[in-house]
Amino acid sequence: MSTQIVELIPRLHDLKRSEKLYVIQFLVSELAQEEGDLIRPDLAYPIWSPYDSFGAASVLLNALAEDKEIAYGE
Amino acid sequence: MENSQRYPFVASDMDFGEAGFRPYLPLILSYQGKSSNVMGLLDSGAMVNVLPHSVRVELGAIWNEQTTHLQLTGNLAQVEARVLLIGARVDTFPSVRLAFAWTKTDNVPLLLGQINFFREFNICFYRSELAFEISQKR
Repeated sequence: MSTQIVELIPRLHDLKRSEKLYVIQFLVSELAQEEGDLIRPDLAYPIWSPYDSFGAASVLLNALAEDKEIAYGE
Repeated sequence: MENSQRYPFVASDMDFGEAGFRPYLPLILSYQGKSSNVMGLLDSGAMVNVLPHSVRVELGAIWNEQTTHLQLTGNLAQVEARVLLIGARVDTFPSVRLAFAWTKTDNVPLLLGQINFFREFNICFYRSELAFEISQKR
């Protein structure tokens, strides 16, 4: 833990219940804002991953196996 | 990881700040006596390795000589693809044989996917540190 957090925890501990809830809301809002900054609206984010190309993967594995046979005579 | 090499994420678009960093791995591809230094995007969600069409320039691969056709999915579903086997060297690790889905478009990054890059190398991502480590399979 950083020195800042070590110093902060006892001060948070001493807060009233309502103040602790306010701090929680503040932090949740801050985190949500940071997440929003990472992914911006109105921009295109292409996803190239052929994530379910199982048939293509099988063909590549066969090509590798045949290549190994030719190289090593297996 | 034992005998691993650590690489930083690469800022591919500074306009995006931290979101613009991606895990690109430098590697050397070799094909029929020619070689090319490239950057491959580590993509654990990709079932296959994907190669843009432009490798024909530096590696001299000829499209019509690759006769095994492939059907890809997602953004690449409409793109013609063929099998291309290429030698690859990462850092000081021994060379490996990688099988690629060679696409007929340059509008795609070089993807290093499950078959067969992740079959040859172990990768550990430390996104919070903007770094990853790579080691060869045991």
